[in-house]
Parts: sequence; C-alpha cells; structure tokens
Amino acid sequence: MLAKLQRKTLIPTQIVGYALTLLVGVTIVLLAFQLYADLQPMLTQQTDVFKAHTVTVSKNVTLFKTANKEGVYFDQRELDRIQQQDFVKKVSRFTSSSFNVSASINLGDGHRMSTDLFFESVPDEYLDVQSDAWQWDSTSDFLPIVIPEDYLSLYNFGFAESQSLPVISQNTLSQVSFNIVIDGNGRHRMYTSRIVGFSGKINSILVPEDFLVWANRYFGAPSTDRCSRLLVEFTDASDERIPAFFEGNGLNINKSELETSKMVFIFRFALLFVFVIAAIIIALSMAFIVMSLNLIVQKNRELFVNLYNIGYSTSQIARFYQRVVSIITVADLLLAVVAALVIRGLYVSRLQTIFSVGGGTLPIILTASILCLFLLLAYNGLIRRSVRSVVR
Amino acid sequence: MSESEVAGSDIYLQPTVVFQRGRKYMVCAKSGHGKTSLLNFIYGSNRSFDGTIDYGMPVDSPFALRRDKLSYLFQDLCLFSELTAIENVRLKNNLTHFKSDAEMEAMLAAILPAEKKDQPVRTLSLGQRQRVAAVRALCQPFDYLLLDEPFSHIDHQNAQLLADLVCREVDNQGAGLIVTALDAIDLFNFDEVLHL
Repeated sequence: MLAKLQRKTLIPTQIVGYALTLLVGVTIVLLAFQLYADLQPMLTQQTDVFKAHTVTVSKNVTLFKTANKEGVYFDQRELDRIQQQDFVKKVSRFTSSSFNVSASINLGDGHRMSTDLFFESVPDEYLDVQSDAWQWDSTSDFLPIVIPEDYLSLYNFGFAESQSLPVISQNTLSQVSFNIVIDGNGRHRMYTSRIVGFSGKINSILVPEDFLVWANRYFGAPSTDRCSRLLVEFTDASDERIPAFFEGNGLNINKSELETSKMVFIFRFALLFVFVIAAIIIALSMAFIVMSLNLIVQKNRELFVNLYNIGYSTSQIARFYQRVVSIITVADLLLAVVAALVIRGLYVSRLQTIFSVGGGTLPIILTASILCLFLLLAYNGLIRRSVRSVVR
Repeated sequence: MSESEVAGSDIYLQPTVVFQRGRKYMVCAKSGHGKTSLLNFIYGSNRSFDGTIDYGMPVDSPFALRRDKLSYLFQDLCLFSELTAIENVRLKNNLTHFKSDAEMEAMLAAILPAEKKDQPVRTLSLGQRQRVAAVRALCQPFDYLLLDEPFSHIDHQNAQLLADLVCREVDNQGAGLIVTALDAIDLFNFDEVLHL
C-alpha cells in the first residue's frame, strides 16, 4: 500500500538519467584503476628498476674510429665533462672484460659446442633483472649471466622462424647450464654457468660487477681500465638540452629510453586526467539523484506529513526511496563491473602479446565495493534526513 | 490566543485538566477557539503551548503513542486521495494489523455505500471521506480516541451510524473519547462537557 502510494512520486526520467551517468562514470573509474594496476609491472620496470631517467651512451663509430680503435673509449676528461652538465645526475661506467672467455656446452656422446664470448657489467641498481641467483663469491664455481632479451627474440622470431626450429622460452633457456672457461694472465679457470635473467634495457652480456672487477685484476691485462659505454642518469629526462648536447659531442644515446620515459609520464598524466573526469561524472550523477530526491520530498510534502500523522515513522517513509536508490545503485555498479571486466578482457588479450599482465581483477572489484559502500551510506543518510526535515 | 479569548475556558489556563480512560468527553467551542489546537497538543503534532501534558507513562515523544495509544480523526482528514477507501484504511491498519480484512470491510460497509469501498477517495463526497477517515481511526489499538468535529459534513442518520460504530470500538477497548464540536451534540453519552 505504502509502496503503491510512493511509487507514483518517483520521476522515472531522472532515475534513468542518474543510472546512466553513474554507469558511465563508474565504468571509467574502474577501468582507470584496473589499467593502472595492469600496467604497473611495465611502469615500475621503467621507473624503479631501470631508472626512467637513465640512458646508455656510447661514442659514434665512424670509419676513422674503425681504424683507430682508441677513439671509442671515454677518457677521464670526457667523463668529467658529461658529469658537469647540470641535467646529469650521475654517470656510471660499463666495465668490460679484459681476458678471453669461451663458453661450451656438452651435447652428449662426446660432442661439444663452444663459442668465444665477452663480459660486461653495470652497477646492480641499473639492472632490470631480479634474480636470487645473481650473486657471485670467490669460492664458488658458479657464474650467473644475464643476456639481452633481444638475443632470444632474434633467435625465436628470426632464426627459428626461418629455419623451422622450435622456439625457446626464457624459462627453458634459464635451465640450461654450460661451462665458461676463462684464460688470461697465464691463468685458467672453469666455471659452470646459467642464464639467470634477460635484460630488456642493457644490450650486453652481463656478469655481476664484483666478479668482473676481481676477474679483470686476476686474469686481465694490467692497466686496461677502459670504458666504451656509459650509463647516464638525468635529473629530468625531458630536458631539451639533452639530445643537443650528446649529438654535438658525437655521442650516441639510446633515444628510445628517453621516449619511453616520456610516454610513461604522459600515460600516467592521461590516466589521472581520465580518472578526474570520471570522478566528476560520478559526483554530478550523485548531485543529480540527490536533487531529484529533494524535489520528490518537497513536491510530496503533504503526503509525507499525512503518513507521519497517521503513525508512519520517518524511517518507514524513507525506506521506499532508500530501497529504490540502493537497488539502482547496486545494479548499476554490478553492470559497471561487468562492463569493465569485458573491456579489460579485450585489452588484456592484446597486452598479453607485449608483456605478461600479472595480477587479477582485484582493483575493479575493490574499487566498486568501496564506491558502493560509500554511495549507499551517503544516499541512505541523505534521504532519511530530507524526509525528517519535511515532516517535522 | 489572547487571555481574554480563553478567559472562561475549562481547559486553557487551568492548573490541571484530567482526561480519564473509559470516560467520554465533549469539548465545545466556537470556531477559531482552539479545539483543533488542543487535540494537536495531545497528539503531539503541535508543540507551541506552555505547560506539560502527562500521558500517565514515560514518553520520549508523543509520536511513539500514535501506533497504539492515541488515535485521531483529523479535521482535514489526511486521507490519500489516490488510494481507494479500503486502501486508506489498510494503510493505517498495516502499522499494527489490529483488524482483519473482514473487520475493516464490515466497518466500512456499516457506514458507506458498498460500491464506494473500492473507489479512489478523491471521487467520494466530503461526508463519505469523513466516514472513511473515522473508520481508519478505529483500526488501531488506542487508549484515547480524538475526534475533531467528526460529524461536520454528515447528516444526522449517518452520524448516528458512525457514532454507534465509534462507541462500540471505544467501549471494547475501554478507551477514553474526546470529541470536539461547535455545539453540544447528543450522539454519545458524554460523561463531561468542557467549554473552551
């Protein structure tokens, strides 16, 4: 009876308007949170592990330098000069091996395959690989190695493809052990080794830096403290003097690093912008339904006063509107969750081809739940207050 | 109201006025002399008076009495014009489920033409509406029944039917009755007549 009486007071167009705006706003907010969480591995890789503002710098190789190899090394004066630029925060060096390295693998039945190698190392903080095996101590015969991701891609997508060979996953390759033989300074030692990681950032065959420092002293030729590549960390990678400085000095920087860090910045900003817009849409939808409810209460003041007069309490009078708004809001949020999950499904299937999207849909569920709780509490309180103000 | 207007009142400005359960009171006054205000004070919908009303029990707000202690036939009826006669009565009865459907229908049938029961209240005459509102007031437990000019739009014959219905219910519940009117009416056996 009460419902029959109160149903007529609702304004359907306003409720539909509320439902639609809320749906749009919430779906976008959920997606913004989810997208941010999904891309987090990519973003943090960029910013935390391999600092967003770090690039690899080398000298341009020219015909002249091909003849005179000394030209590709940095001397102390050049290092100081780079260090003194006020957009440069820190300069670190690649350390290279000054001894002979060869790797070999037993293929069974007495066959062996071997190749000559080189090693380089960088300070661990610049390495975008995290592995427990990335450790060396002088008593152990185990030597961990990190190779560029590109090497494997080159094999999988280039060589294996054209030769109809099986492709190899990072995981499989990591399980293969092989032998490393180091010769130099009249000394000779054999290590067992394994690839413990794949770097997407540093294009070199890396070993732990403390090993290489020790090995260069132990096996290497004396007085060969040369360095052909640098890691330069900037205070602000988007500084426009950077490209000009390096080009002007005949230096080669890995520009894509700069581009990615800029893109990460733009992406974050865009996501924040989208989030703010969606939050405004939600706020407007809330204002809309609250105004609609106030209008209902004012328009039907007499009805509410009569109900109160014959003994209906304010909470009984408010209950119908609280239920309607709560049901619409919850249904709307569920719909938004479904929409967000469907859209996520679409973009995840594309992203999976670029990198592995970790994590689940917790951000969507969590955000929706918190939002739902907040909206229900707010609406129920407001409706009760508004009814109370009109009957008393 | 000014003091001169209520100078001879049996209620206003008196140190105490007692209404007892089981007794019937008639409150007479000219229009504008505060009959409705008195009932509203008791019912708790008007609080602009000096003094206190003691309900004989601890009461936080007179609102709490509306379900099962006080019932009120409003002068302006407070019916819901979109609902039918029987729906108006049910809406009230739903609060306490005091009467059965059959009882409600029987009460309406006693004082209203049968076909009016299922018509929206807005299509009924003022007198018919007044009777619907009266039946509604009977559909709850009460210690006191307040009737504000209950027969103002009803002819004598129908007024007698309604009075009988009210008396039966009041006596059944052992409740007190307070009726206001412009002039004394002889439809109830009043125990006391008060002049405002």
